[in-house]
Amino acid sequence: MLEKTVREFMPVLLGTPEGLPDPDIEGQTRFALEYLSAGAKEFKPVYLIAAASFKVLAVLLKRKPWSMLTIEEKDYVANKLFSYSNPLLRSIPLLLAMPILASYYRREEVQMALGFDAKALKADAELRTVTRDRDLPPKCK
Amino acid sequence: MGTLHTWENLELTRRSKPLELSADVVIIGSGAGGAPMAHELASEGHSVVVLEQGGYFPTESFQFDCTESVRQLYLNSGLTFAIGVPTVLCPVGKTVGGTTTINQGTALRIPRQVLQEWRVGDGLKEIDPEEMSLYYTAIEEFLFVKKADPEVAGNNARKFLEGAGRLGLQGGYLPRNAKDCEGYGVCSFGCPSGAKQSMNVSYIPEAVKKGADVYADCKVTRILTENGRAVGVEGFFKKHDTRQKGPAVRVSAKVVVLAGGTIGTPLLLLRNKLANSSGEVGWNYRLHPVTQVIPIFDERIDPHKGISQSAWVDEFLAERISLETTVLPPDMLAMAIPAACDNHSEVMSLYPYTGLIGCMLRETSKGRIVPGPRHGFYVFYQINWEDVRRMKLANVIASEIAFAAGAKRVLTFMAGHNELRSLQDLKRLKSEKVSSRQFMAMSGWHPMGTCRMGDDPETSVVRHTGETWDVENLFISDASVFPTSIGVNPQLTIMAFSLRCAGFVDEKLVGETDRQEQTGTGISTAIA
Repeated sequence: MLEKTVREFMPVLLGTPEGLPDPDIEGQTRFALEYLSAGAKEFKPVYLIAAASFKVLAVLLKRKPWSMLTIEEKDYVANKLFSYSNPLLRSIPLLLAMPILASYYRREEVQMALGFDAKALKADAELRTVTRDRDLPPKCK
Repeated sequence: MGTLHTWENLELTRRSKPLELSADVVIIGSGAGGAPMAHELASEGHSVVVLEQGGYFPTESFQFDCTESVRQLYLNSGLTFAIGVPTVLCPVGKTVGGTTTINQGTALRIPRQVLQEWRVGDGLKEIDPEEMSLYYTAIEEFLFVKKADPEVAGNNARKFLEGAGRLGLQGGYLPRNAKDCEGYGVCSFGCPSGAKQSMNVSYIPEAVKKGADVYADCKVTRILTENGRAVGVEGFFKKHDTRQKGPAVRVSAKVVVLAGGTIGTPLLLLRNKLANSSGEVGWNYRLHPVTQVIPIFDERIDPHKGISQSAWVDEFLAERISLETTVLPPDMLAMAIPAACDNHSEVMSLYPYTGLIGCMLRETSKGRIVPGPRHGFYVFYQINWEDVRRMKLANVIASEIAFAAGAKRVLTFMAGHNELRSLQDLKRLKSEKVSSRQFMAMSGWHPMGTCRMGDDPETSVVRHTGETWDVENLFISDASVFPTSIGVNPQLTIMAFSLRCAGFVDEKLVGETDRQEQTGTGISTAIA
C-alpha cells in the first residue's frame, strides 16, 4: 500500500525539474520506502493518512473521482494545498513530498547537475587527513 | 588504554550471554555531555564505561550522501517532530559523539547575561562565571576552537556579511571547533575529513586512550538503585542499522551519569519513575526555534562550497534573536523548499544561486516530552505569541540583509509572504501581523531544559552540581539541566557544564571509596 502510494504521488509532487535528469521511479520508490521505514513508527501511518486526505481533498476540489484526475489536475491540487495558510492542509503535500524529493535530489546525476559533485568532494576530503596532532602541519597531497 | 566496542568487535550477532560490567562510573551517552566527562574522569584514574545508543562511524565512512547519513546518524532518521502549530522538526544525533557529530561546529560561550539570569533568577549562585570561563578555555584549547577562516567560509557567508555590513549590523565569522577545515559544507552529515572536532574524533578517542571503555549500539532501559542511591544500569544491545536485538548488558557502578540529551534523559527517568518528586522531569522543553530565508542571487553562490555555518549577526542577542548562515546540500534543501514555495522544481534548478540564512530565537515558549509506547515518545511544543512576533522580526531582518547583499528575491517559510521580490514586499511583511500558523518548516536543533537545574527540589530536578535531588549518585550532564534556553549554539556550554559536573563526580567517587573502605562494602555487594 505504501509502495503504491509513493509511486502514485511521485510524478505529482516531483514536478518536472528543468534541465535535470528524468525521475527513476523504481530506484526512487525503493529509497523512499526505506526512508519511511527508518523513521519513527508513527511516520508510516501518518504518511498513509496524508495520502488519503490528499485524495479526498482532490475529489472535493476537482469534483471528479481520484482515478479520473489527470497529472495536471493532481498537480493543481498539490499547488492549491501548498498555498493554504492552514498548517494542517499545507502539511499534507509537504509530508508526502519529503521522501519523494529526497529520493530524487540525492541521486548522483541530479546533484552533479546542480554543481554538487559528491564523488569529487569525497576524493578531495580523502587527500587530507586531519589529525589532532598539534605539532605537525596538516597532511596535504 | 580502554576500547571502543562496536557490535562487530564484540561479535554480538553470535552472543546471547548477558554482558556483566563494573566500573567506578557509567555514563549514558557519548555526546557533548558525556564525552568530556568520560575523558576527565578517566584522566583522574577512575574506571569509566560509556554506553551509547547509536552506532560508531569512523570519519572515512562519511560519504557526502547526506540523506543516508541522516538515516544512520539521526534519531528516528531525522524524523523527530514536536507536535504543535506549527509542527517543529527536532533533529537529534544518535551515534558515537551524539549531536556533536551532526552539528555545524559552532562553538560559542553562553552569553554572560544568561548565566547571570540563572545565578539570580534560578538560584544558581554557585555557578561562578570566572570558574566557567576556565572550563570554556580548556575546551576551546582541546577542540582547536577558532574563528572560521574567511578563505573557506564560502560565498553564502561572504554575501551575508556584506549585506549586514551595508546595514551597519554587528556580526562576523563564528568560532568553530574545527582544525584545518576545508569547508566541505556537510558538517551536519558527519565531517568527511575529521576536521570538525566532534566528540567522536576528540574527547571519546582521547578518553579511550586514558582507559575509558565505550560501548556503541547499547540502549539503557533501567537505572538500578539501592537504598536511594544509583548503583548501576541495565539495558541491551541493538544494532543501529538492522535493529537486531543483541544480548542484555548490566553495569554496576558507584556513580551513574545520564548524558542522553534533552529527550533521552527525561524519558529514562520517567520510565524508571525516578528523580521526579518535583514533577518537573520532561517539562520546560526548549529548542531554539529556527526558520530560514533563502536569498536568490543573479551570481553563482554555490552554497555547498564552504563551511556549513560560518557567519552570524549578533546585534540582536538582547532581542533574543540570532542570525546565522547555513548551507544545505541539494537533497536536504529540496525537502524544505516546498514549504517556501509551490514552484519547488524551478527553485531547485536555481540551487547554485541560492543562499540560506537561519533565524534562531532564544525562546520563552516551553514544551514537554512524554514517553510513548514501545520505547517511543512524544514531544509537544507550542510557540507563544511573543516568540511569533520575534520570529517575524528575525525573518524581516534576515530578508533585509539578503536584499542589501544583492538578492533578487527572497523566499521565506511564512505563508502569505513566501516570496519577497522587492523592498515593497518586505514592507508589507513588516506591517502585517502574523500568526504561528503561518510558519512552515520550523526546526529546533538545540533541545534543552527537561531536567532543569535549580536550588529548590520542589521546582527542579538536579542541584547545581548536576546530582539529582532525589537519587544520590545519579548525575545528569547534558542540556536537559539548563533552566532556560541560552540563545546561542549550546555544545560548548554543555561541555563546560560536563567538566564542572565531572569535578563533583570525582569528589563523589573519592568519597564512595572512603565509605566502602570504612564499611567494607563494595558495589557488587550493594547490587547483590
